[in-house]
Formats: sequence, structure tokens, C-alpha cells
Amino acid sequence: MATVTHSSRLGNILWPTVAWMVAIVFFFPIFWMVFTSFKTNADAVKPEFLFSFTPTLENYANMAKNYDYWRFATNSVITSTFATLFALAVGVPAAYAMAFDPSARTKDVLVWMLSTKMLPAAAVLYPMTFLTKNMLGIFDTHFLVILVLCLINLPIVIWMLFTYFKEIPKEIIEAGKMDGVSTWGEIKDILIPLAWGGIASTALLTFIFCWNEAYWTVRLTTIDAATLSKLIEGNRAPEGLFFGQLSAVSTAAVAPIIVLGWFCQKQLVQGLTFGAVK
Amino acid sequence: MSKRTLPRLLQTPAVLLLLVWMLVPLSMTLFFSFIRYVLNSTVRPEWMTPSFTNWRGLGNYEYVLNAKDFWFAIQNSLLIVGSILVLTVILGLGIAVLINRSFPGRGIVRVLLISPFFVMPAVNAVLWINMILDPVLGLNGLAIGGINNVVDSLRDFPLLGHFFSLWPEFEPISFRATQTSAYAVIMMVTWQWTPFAVLIFMTSLQSEDESQKEAATLDGANAWSKFRNLTVPHLARPIAIVVMIQSIFHLSLYAEIEIVSRGNGNKNLPYLIGEFATNNIGAASATGIFAVILANIVAIFLLRMIGKSLMD
Repeated sequence: MATVTHSSRLGNILWPTVAWMVAIVFFFPIFWMVFTSFKTNADAVKPEFLFSFTPTLENYANMAKNYDYWRFATNSVITSTFATLFALAVGVPAAYAMAFDPSARTKDVLVWMLSTKMLPAAAVLYPMTFLTKNMLGIFDTHFLVILVLCLINLPIVIWMLFTYFKEIPKEIIEAGKMDGVSTWGEIKDILIPLAWGGIASTALLTFIFCWNEAYWTVRLTTIDAATLSKLIEGNRAPEGLFFGQLSAVSTAAVAPIIVLGWFCQKQLVQGLTFGAVK
Repeated sequence: MSKRTLPRLLQTPAVLLLLVWMLVPLSMTLFFSFIRYVLNSTVRPEWMTPSFTNWRGLGNYEYVLNAKDFWFAIQNSLLIVGSILVLTVILGLGIAVLINRSFPGRGIVRVLLISPFFVMPAVNAVLWINMILDPVLGLNGLAIGGINNVVDSLRDFPLLGHFFSLWPEFEPISFRATQTSAYAVIMMVTWQWTPFAVLIFMTSLQSEDESQKEAATLDGANAWSKFRNLTVPHLARPIAIVVMIQSIFHLSLYAEIEIVSRGNGNKNLPYLIGEFATNNIGAASATGIFAVILANIVAIFLLRMIGKSLMD
């Protein structure tokens, strides 16, 4: 832990104060959104009610009526959950093989997988629409959204799992082999219990990325499989009339994810830098 | 079963899925970029189905390169990405150093600081452009209105009032014009991604060699020269990573542009592709290939760096 060895008394008060102020400034927009969500639409745009007003829960009560919130939220939950589960189902065996039975090409395969993540989505926008709409007929289905979310997160899932699995001593897995445990048994009874923490945080982070995804979920859906990103994007310009309502629906869309995010700050560094920063 | 078969088998689903995901749409884009292909045409209905008979060669690329929109979108993409990079790295370094020591409530400060990163991009854009930056009803408008009121009331003072009566009414900036909405996008993305830079720089600061710093202190080095000569070189690599990862993410920035700037001309490459794709698929695909090339310039460096650190 880094500490400044000789710090003046002034510095001891000054710098923490500055840190607190910076943190408050950064959090302010979120606070403001939550705060506004408890004002009526009329109060939300009046300067005299900027800080003092009568709090109301009507925006939350009307969310279902005004925005059909639960339908979009359900879609978000379904697609993010299944995309995460599928990505893990495909990613765990792959990362297991790469970590415990690496071949000369394993490193290249990993780097290649990552390169798929770096293709700009917009470049394949029309082909994806064409394939899913005209050829496969799966446009605007849960299946499509789950598949795409799973694919765009698969490289990150494999990378994160790979770095966790590498930390497990090979001898433990070898010992299982000696005892005649099958590969499936090795994964189920030895690997998963040992790497449980790593797998859980990978799942958490993948879920967050799926939930927040805002390109494919918007461009490949219309109504049936539309997620919360699509809902908010569709209400982009409320002309100030519905600030209270819009704040409530926005808060409901992001609050659970922010709280989840607090629990995986450390994994975030690993998940986004692919182990390149330690 | 041979020793190698099983590990390969376990990797196959992942490799196949990613291979199909990468190759199929991209080769379609490549194909479409070489043919005449439009969605609606009463004059040339044969262009409405993709086929080799509509071969156009490099014609779409030529068309795109001659389009004013294309160069504007490139320039605007670079302006947006460049500004975000500079701002997030500077802010990120400052904040990381600031909170890299213990003080009361450090845990809460960290939690508050990281929160913007988890806000979904659509909410980020809607929140900023309406509730914060709106020139009439947002905090922007309210704050300027408040300042004007204060100035107004000062005008009634004897003596000093003369001074204030010379002041003009302040006008809030509207962030919905072409140029200013680019600034709005820069602001909201900087807000969202500074926490990312902070997290990475902090992780890296904690692995810094403290004994070296202490030695420097004994030699009489001040805080700035220690930061300049020890911390900055140590952070060179994380800075490079932050710059490259953000470049790749922000080159494909979409939701923020779509929400803040629909129809006002503030476009970047992904947005331009979306515009072309409403009719001229040939041009959209050629633009897509340019976007891939642009992203690859950064990605090659990043992948090389990640590959190197992979096996140690």
C-alpha cells in the first residue's frame, strides 16, 4: 500500500478533502437522476423546487403504464442471464483446455479470439440485419440477442477464466487424472469448486456488459426482444415534460447494475485489460 | 483417444463460434462493398438484389472517399476519441494519485468514483443531454438563469449597480448544435470512462516500488520530481493500455451519438454507416471496411502488447 511518508499537516486535510469533492462531482449526475425521480414531472423543471420539494413515488408507480417498463426489464434479464450462462458453458471447457493442456498455438488462439472483439460492430451492421431478417428469420427474437451478446462477450469470458485457471496448480488436476477421474469429473469436481470465485466474478462482469450493451440490442430488435437500452434510446428527447418519469425509469434501469458493479471493481481491471495490467 | 484430441475438442465450440461470427458477416460486408447494392430503386431494380452481375469494383470506395460526409465523420470521430483520451488520462492520473493513500472514507470515495462506469450508455446520454445540459430546463439553463437573477438584483444597489448594469444577460450554451453536441458527447463519455482510467492507474500504482521512492526522498527529491521521474515511467504501460482500449471502444461509439445528435450533423463513422445503410448498402459496406482498417491500426499494437504479457 502506497503511503506518502512525509506529509504536512495541511496536506493531510487538503488532499482528502479534494478527493471527496472530486468523488461527489463524479457521482452527482447519478445522484441527480435518483433525486429527480422522486419529483413530479411539473416540479422537476421548476427552479424553486430544485432542492426542496415533496417527494413522491408516483413516477415509479406509473413506470409500467407509461413505459411498459417490466416488459423491457424482463427482456434484459432473460437475454443477459442466458447470454452469460451460454458464454460460460462454452468458455469454461475452452479455458480449461488452454490453461491445463496448452499447445504451441494456445497463445495465438487467445490473441486471435481477442481480435474478434476489436472489430467495429457497425462494419457488419447490414450483413447482420440481412442474415437475421431475410435469411434466418430470427430478427427481434430473444434467441438472436442472446446469441449476439454471448458472442461479443465470449473472448472476455475465456480470457478472464484462463487467467484464473492458470493460478490453479497443475498438480491438483494431475492428481485427479491419476485417480482415474474423467475429464467431466475433473471440471465438475475439481476445477469448478477451486475456481468458484473467479467463475462467479466473470459471470457478474459478463452480465453487466450484456445489460449495458447498446448497439446490437438496439439495431437488431424492434419490440419483442427489445431491452432496456432500446427503451431509453426510444425516449431520448422528452422535451423537459417528463424529467421525473424519465429519471425514474432510468434509475430503475441502472441502479441494480451499479450495485453489482461495486462488487466487482477488481475483476473489472482484469476483464477489460486482458491481464495486461497487474 | 490421443493426448491432444480432448483439449482440442473442448476448445472447438468456442473457436468455431468465434470463427463464424468473425468471418461470415465480414466477408458479406467485403462482398457488398464491391457491388452496386441499394435497398430502394425504381430506376434500377436489378441493384436491389446482391449479385456478382452488379460488380462495381472499387467504385463504392471512390464514392465514399469523395463524400464530404465521410471526411467530416472521420475528422469528428478523431476529435471525439482524441479529446476523450486526453481528458480521461489526465483526470485519471490525477485522481488515481489523489486516492492512492489512506484517508477517512476512502472506500466510499472509490465506490462513488467508479459508479459512472456502470451506467448504461443510453441512460448516460439521456441523463446528460436532458437533465444536465439542456439550455432551458436542465441544470445548465437553471444555473445560467440563477446567475442572471443575481446580477439583476445587484443592479438595484446604489453605486455598484452602475457597474453591474453594464453586464450583459448570460446566454446558456445549447448542446444540440453540430459542434456543441460533439462537446456534449465528449463530456458524457469522459465522465463515464475516467473511472476506468482511475481503476487501472490505481492498480498499477499499488505495484510501484516504494523503496525506490523512499530512497529518492532521502536524496531530497520533492513530490513533483518523484512523480515525474519514478511514477510516470512506471505508468507508461498502463497509460498505453488505457489509450488503446479506449480508442477501440470509442471509435465504435454509437448510442451517445444517436441520442444526442440525431439529425443535427454531428456524426462519427458508425453513425455514417447507419445512415448509408438505410439505402446505399454498397457505400455502407465500403465505409465499414474503412472503419475496420482504422480500428486495426490500434488493435495490432494492443494485441502485440497483450500477447507479450500473456505468458509471464
